[in-house]
Amino acid sequence: MGASFMAELLKLYKRPAVWVLTAIWLAFVVLFAYALPYAFFANLPEPEVPEDAPPEMQSKMQTQSEAASEQLMSQLYPENMAAYVLSGISGTGGTLALILGALFVGSEYGWGTLKTVLSQRPGRLTAFFAKMLALGAALALFVLLAFVAGAICSLVVAGIQGAAVGWPPLAQLLEGLGAGAVILAVWAALGVFLATLFRSTALAIGLGLFYALALEGIVFGLPIPNESFQDARQFFLGQNSGFLADSFTGGSYNSPSRHQART
Amino acid sequence: MIPETSQTDGRDDALLVETSGLTKRYGARITAVDDLDLSVRRGEVYGFLGPNGAGKTTTLRMILGLIKPSSGTATVLGEAPGAPAGLARVGALVESPAFYPYLSGRDNLRVMARYSGVAPSRVEEVLQQVELSGRAGDRFKKYSLGMKQRLGVAAALLKDPELLILDEPANGLDPKGMADMRAIIRGVREEGKTVLISSHLLGEVEQICDRIGVILRGKLVAERTMEELRGREGGLLVRAEPLEEATRVAQDLPEVEEAQVADGMLRITVDPARAAEVNAGLVNAGVRVSELRMVERSLEEMFLELTGGETV
Ligand SMILES: Nc1ncnc2c1ncn2[C@@H]1O[C@H](COP(=O)(O)OP(=O)(O)O)[C@@H](O)[C@H]1O
Ligand SMILES: [Mg+2]
Repeated sequence: MGASFMAELLKLYKRPAVWVLTAIWLAFVVLFAYALPYAFFANLPEPEVPEDAPPEMQSKMQTQSEAASEQLMSQLYPENMAAYVLSGISGTGGTLALILGALFVGSEYGWGTLKTVLSQRPGRLTAFFAKMLALGAALALFVLLAFVAGAICSLVVAGIQGAAVGWPPLAQLLEGLGAGAVILAVWAALGVFLATLFRSTALAIGLGLFYALALEGIVFGLPIPNESFQDARQFFLGQNSGFLADSFTGGSYNSPSRHQART
Repeated sequence: MIPETSQTDGRDDALLVETSGLTKRYGARITAVDDLDLSVRRGEVYGFLGPNGAGKTTTLRMILGLIKPSSGTATVLGEAPGAPAGLARVGALVESPAFYPYLSGRDNLRVMARYSGVAPSRVEEVLQQVELSGRAGDRFKKYSLGMKQRLGVAAALLKDPELLILDEPANGLDPKGMADMRAIIRGVREEGKTVLISSHLLGEVEQICDRIGVILRGKLVAERTMEELRGREGGLLVRAEPLEEATRVAQDLPEVEEAQVADGMLRITVDPARAAEVNAGLVNAGVRVSELRMVERSLEEMFLELTGGETV
């Protein structure tokens, strides 16, 4: 088992596709979770204040709009890092994990390498578990990477904004890492399952992405008020990932004290 | 790490591979392997011959435990197919060599060495054995078919196996590559190992085999040692005057099974070792014998006959 695991690791870190996914993963965190939202929040349009409004009204509206944009911006601060990164993982991160899971298993069918491996010695179960263990290690690393990248980005945002740097409690960080790993593992498992079922990478990724990106959205976009239909949501992957991520924030983000934040 | 299994255990130690009634069906209509009884003895090179689609690969897959037989049994080194204890002593290349395209030949072998639990130092040894050391750093996807086959054999040799199973290792090789492959297999045999090698061309393997089995539409239709194969259908070709007289005399000789005229010569079915007696018999009867030689029936011809001319 240990030796088979080492074999999997060797295949893993020498595989270009894995590095491409890692790069996409990091780019996703830096660009889509931090850089673009930052640019957007920092340039929210000024509220249109009627010229003839009384001055106290003008300043009130000004304050309100500043509070709103600060509220948005605060998501990007270190203090909210765990919950914010996790919400990203539950969405796009899941689809990347699905692709990784499908690649891990499907390629061996595509290349016909499964028979080469099995003729060596490990035995079907050992080979499978070694592979799953390696996949798990890769996913854990992905989550860790996302959190590290998120921490660095949030520091940069706080620095630019001049906000006070406060970190989430260690317990929340650890729980966030754990929850992220669970979410990715479930999505990756779907990829593994589809790739095993169809003995192919492409079909598994195609179907998996269709499910993740389109099907759930369609199903829950349907205006069906039926109660049992709404209950059925709990069996869907994307919904569940979202629920788990949301449980960290109670659906909203902590806003840091504005008095501290402003200089 | 590989359990040291005594070489004298097992019920019938002489047979490294033994199948009994081995059958594989795909659906109701395809019987890929049909009631096959195959046995490979320790120390021999066994040629498993048959035209494309005859069921060779399917048989080897069952022997390795890669697929399950529909019925019948197989024993490999005294173990059930695919059992780790048996697999530890078997090296195999089944169908086309399949490796990770993005890894170099060397890295592919390092991966396989980890799976089989052998020392990493084996990698360079087998690379040398198949003469691939020079190109071991290139990616597998850049390899020619011949290099891929060599890498497949190298992977099969990693475990330093007692039994080497090679499925059409000469496929796609040029004559030089084929000669190299034969040299590798001879080397393996000289180390006292057993080789089970499949091919659809007798000519590829007849020089190295001790015994061959011919499979046709899933059935084993013949199993012979090379001596049997060369000797049995053998006989003598005699140029004699007068021919009719010679035929009559030859038919009456006790050691002769049959004598007929073919292409102006007398063809006598007889153990070639009895040539002197036959000659004496003819001469004593007053027949003038001007030429007497052994029939060298080509193996290819025999193979064609056994397989009903289906071979390529
Ligand atoms: N997975 C499969 N499904 C259906 N038929 C198969 C399968 N594998 C092999 N066969 C059929 O079994 C027969 C034997 O195939 P194979 O063992 O590959 O022959 P060989 O190796 O001697 O060329 C062929 O007719 C082939 O089409
Ligand atoms: Mg074949």
